[in-house]
Amino acid sequence: MALKDELAGIVGSECVSDDPEALDAYSKDLSFVKPVKPRLIIKPGSADEVQAIVRWANQTATPLVPVSSGPPRFRGDTVPSVPGAVIVDMSGMKKIMRIDRRNRVAMIEPGVTYTELQPELAKEGLRLTTPLLPRAGKSVVASLLEREPTLIPRQLWASLDPLRCNEIIWGDGNKLVTGDAGNWTSMEDAWERKQAPAGATGPGQADFYRFVSAAQGSMGIVTWASVKCEILPAPHKLFIVPARKPDDLFDFTYRLLKFRFADELLLINNSSLAYILGDGPGGIKALMKELPPWVVLVGIAGRSILPEERVAYQEKDIADIAGKSGLKLESAVPGARGDDVLKALLSTSREPYWKLGYKAGYQDILFITTLNRTPEYIKTVKSVAEASGYPTSDIGVYVQPLHQGANVHCEFILPFDRDDSKEATGMQQLLTKASEKLIEQGAFFSRPYGIWADMAYKRDAQTTTVLKKLKGIFDPNNVMNPGKLCF
Amino acid sequence: MALAKEAYRELEEVVGKEYISDDPALLDCYRYPLSHTAIHIGPYYRVYTPRGAAVLLPGSAEEVQGIVKVCNKYKVKFKPSSTFWSAWGFPLEDDTIQLDMRRMDKILEIDDKNNYAVVEPHVIGATLQAEAMKVGLNTHIHGPGASCSCLASATALGGLGPDTLYMGHHNENLLGVEWVMPDGEILKIGSVGSGLGWFCCDGPGPSLKGLVRGMVGTNGAMGVFTKCAIKLYPWPGPATLPVEGKPPAYKAVLPDNLRAYTLGFPSWKAWADSCYMIFDSGIGYVAHRQFNMFGRDLKGAMVRILSDPTRTLSDIEELLKDPEVQKMTEDMKRDYQIVLAGMTPGDIEWQDKALDKILEETGGWKVKAMLEPDLFNWSLLYMIRLGHKNLNLVFGGGYDGCFGLGGTPDFGTSGEPARVEQVTAFKVEWEKKGNVVACGGDGMMGGIGGMGGGGHSLWENFTHFDPADKASTEGTFEFFNATAKYGAEKGLGPGMEKMNDYARWTDGYTTPKEIRDRILGSAAQPEAFRYQRKFKETFNPNDLGDGYYRTLDDPDE
Ligand SMILES: Cc1cc2nc3c(=O)[nH]c(=O)nc-3n(C[C@H](O)[C@H](O)[C@H](O)COP(=O)(O)OP(=O)(O)OC[C@H]3O[C@@H](n4cnc5c(N)ncnc54)[C@H](O)[C@@H]3O)c2cc1C
Repeated sequence: MALKDELAGIVGSECVSDDPEALDAYSKDLSFVKPVKPRLIIKPGSADEVQAIVRWANQTATPLVPVSSGPPRFRGDTVPSVPGAVIVDMSGMKKIMRIDRRNRVAMIEPGVTYTELQPELAKEGLRLTTPLLPRAGKSVVASLLEREPTLIPRQLWASLDPLRCNEIIWGDGNKLVTGDAGNWTSMEDAWERKQAPAGATGPGQADFYRFVSAAQGSMGIVTWASVKCEILPAPHKLFIVPARKPDDLFDFTYRLLKFRFADELLLINNSSLAYILGDGPGGIKALMKELPPWVVLVGIAGRSILPEERVAYQEKDIADIAGKSGLKLESAVPGARGDDVLKALLSTSREPYWKLGYKAGYQDILFITTLNRTPEYIKTVKSVAEASGYPTSDIGVYVQPLHQGANVHCEFILPFDRDDSKEATGMQQLLTKASEKLIEQGAFFSRPYGIWADMAYKRDAQTTTVLKKLKGIFDPNNVMNPGKLCF
Repeated sequence: MALAKEAYRELEEVVGKEYISDDPALLDCYRYPLSHTAIHIGPYYRVYTPRGAAVLLPGSAEEVQGIVKVCNKYKVKFKPSSTFWSAWGFPLEDDTIQLDMRRMDKILEIDDKNNYAVVEPHVIGATLQAEAMKVGLNTHIHGPGASCSCLASATALGGLGPDTLYMGHHNENLLGVEWVMPDGEILKIGSVGSGLGWFCCDGPGPSLKGLVRGMVGTNGAMGVFTKCAIKLYPWPGPATLPVEGKPPAYKAVLPDNLRAYTLGFPSWKAWADSCYMIFDSGIGYVAHRQFNMFGRDLKGAMVRILSDPTRTLSDIEELLKDPEVQKMTEDMKRDYQIVLAGMTPGDIEWQDKALDKILEETGGWKVKAMLEPDLFNWSLLYMIRLGHKNLNLVFGGGYDGCFGLGGTPDFGTSGEPARVEQVTAFKVEWEKKGNVVACGGDGMMGGIGGMGGGGHSLWENFTHFDPADKASTEGTFEFFNATAKYGAEKGLGPGMEKMNDYARWTDGYTTPKEIRDRILGSAAQPEAFRYQRKFKETFNPNDLGDGYYRTLDDPDE
């Protein structure tokens, strides 16, 4: 039987595609990862179908590349590394299976996007904290599985929050439900008994869900997940704290993190903020000049119990803390009003994706570090950019405190013109050089996409060995996105 | 079979003569009585854990690695323990090497900017807390209290406690681990593995933290953790706790931004509503139904005894007749303790207002008697430091938890009558038999937030007995058989009382394979234990751990 027919036997012929244009679209993305054409695209509609696909892949030694979000894609993780792969497009599994207001959890399939989920949550008085302006088609589950940083550090008790329980089809074809839900034989019974899939750990003596995190689809496929929501904030204000240098903002930020004050809390430079707020390349350029060089964005929200009072108390306390560092809490700065920034932060990105508004392409560099170390890295990226002739004023910087302040996600956004081969080559060289220097300096590439994988794993031989053994357990035939990470 | 002479000599070379012993008298000191609080197993009258082959006190990760390599060479099982609070830290088989980690007791680093500490195995909660407070920080102290190892709970066992609502579960707090794996290789997990510091436990790529632990850890059955980093939390109080009073009635007069209340509620529905409102509002530093471990009927009197150095347990009968104590006990029937910690004057003002609003909406109250300065200062210190955990055993010298209505606040408090009342009524009947302390049936204690930010509540129903008394111990065992059966029939989920039956059996040794397989095979997802078997085969090829690691052989294989 032809491959297509075999798969059609699992998902139905309308859910298998070998349309050349579609295959072409999956063969590359906006990263520098080498294009490789997949063989087919298949769109499962249920966990059973996913399980059948994975079992079939094991029998036929066919590589599978799971994808949940819509385009554009940027990191090379969904571009097959080997020929003959089948794209498992999860975007059709779109059910919001349950929203539990009291326990603040939602159970969703991987095809559900932020755009689709937020209005449904809002009806129940809930919301899910998001990454910084996710693109409209971004899958919630994929974003959380890839450990994309979210905006409210004080809510991040666990490093993978707000991701909680997951149903996983591993590379060997077995299914496992993780977290609290893994201790129940039936979700329906559990709901009946007023339980909720809120706890992420287990089952047993392993945190299985951590193995599929930042795995780039190389361990298994998640077919539903539960997420911990926040109460829909009202009132909700956003203040801007400007400064000339990032270091000037550290004491203030550290204090807020320590006290767990503020909701949204992030540091960002003028270029990044201009990419978020500016209109078209001209507008962005003008805005970069107008905006203060650095700002901390501070969201303050009231929720359910005495919300106005909370906001008032927080506003006063946070203003006092800012004052002690010689800073001011502003509701507007030249070029940006807090209300507009808040609106942007609470939405998905407009079109084109905010990092593509300035030029037709961008490269980002992202890693984990601690807040106090970020200035060294900023210096490094600037000096490498300068040496490569890249305009340093275009470098966007975004520092997102995570895990209640124990570390930060540090991201550089480097727009460039992809269609200009000179610029593209220059960027590729800049990326390599800057990444090498950053890693030498102590940047932790915890989500090593593309060229970072080799750099990161070279530094940690034992982790690499253990990861390979683990992969051998969950995906013994290496059918799940082979060639990624250290696999 | 004793340890081969050659193996002993090689082990001695690793740690030095003074840190190894196979003296039978000493080995017997490293056995655990399974009659008192093993926990959660038995109780088995006059049964002890097996005698080890030797006890070693390693002084560094390198020495631990050396020991593990010798154990691999001679195929000798080893069992590490840091503070030895329960049977989990003791061998399941004869001739196991026991590692007492007490020499590795250093706080290696406190980073007061990024708020974490790096600790060795024998750093206990009290020590880390005292050091952290000097720099305005605090540490999560998990349920068994301030005398327990921080590392053991963060890596190898449980890790939730009264302050979990604010300070997280120790699983969540773990930022890095140094692990001498059972095959003798050293794995450093997260950023520390790349030599970059201890700030992140996940990556590069899939997080190996998942291999260290889940809801619970590997219970000393998969190698030895030699260092770990844990997240710290703000401490808006003095650099040193101003402890005063005569033992055991320690108290602390702390600044006004630290407040301890006992809250009472008119119904279980109101109780649960208040939990959800606490979660939603984000208030609270410590929140736990703690004093109820003395039992619904006795806690008022016990609180009076424990906070007054002139009183003893023998005053209990008299106190129970005191109308004021009776009123207090009634006020506290459906209760929990909460500590508010204001980071600023405005913060404590807002939190207290929010709490009042929650009480107004639920019809709850702050229990008046607990606001008297002596009780206020006693319970404040108790909840912040959790240094009174000997009190778990105060009535008869033995206790264990049963039932366990772990889950959402609604789970334990719903049903007709509320599940918590169903188990209370069941226990009251057994209390009448005279083998367990008659405390009113409801000894349910547990967190108001079993995970950071809330979510879980009500944990275990405390059952007190006398481990030196055969009838009491055996009667308790019988009671636990009944609670396990009742819990299964009523769909309450696995109770605490039989939690370790899969590992250790009535003789103190490994559970027979058929029984173990039946227990693990009847779990909601036996698949998890099949994967754990694969982890064991892969990372512990000589099977040098013990049955506390839950593994299931495939029936087909
Ligand atoms: C009275 C009582 C109350 C309790 N209440 C709670 C509670 O509220 N919440 C909760 O989470 N738990 C609770 N527990 C269980 C508790 O988690 C453990 O007893 C405690 O975490 C560990 O302290 P310990 O002194 O027993 O540790 P240890 O005896 O040192 O060890 C505990 C486990 O970890 C292993 N271990 C220890 N050190 C290492 C190491 N360096 N490397 C590898 N493995 C190691 C041991 O083998 C053992 O299996 C309670 C226990 C008791 C006895």
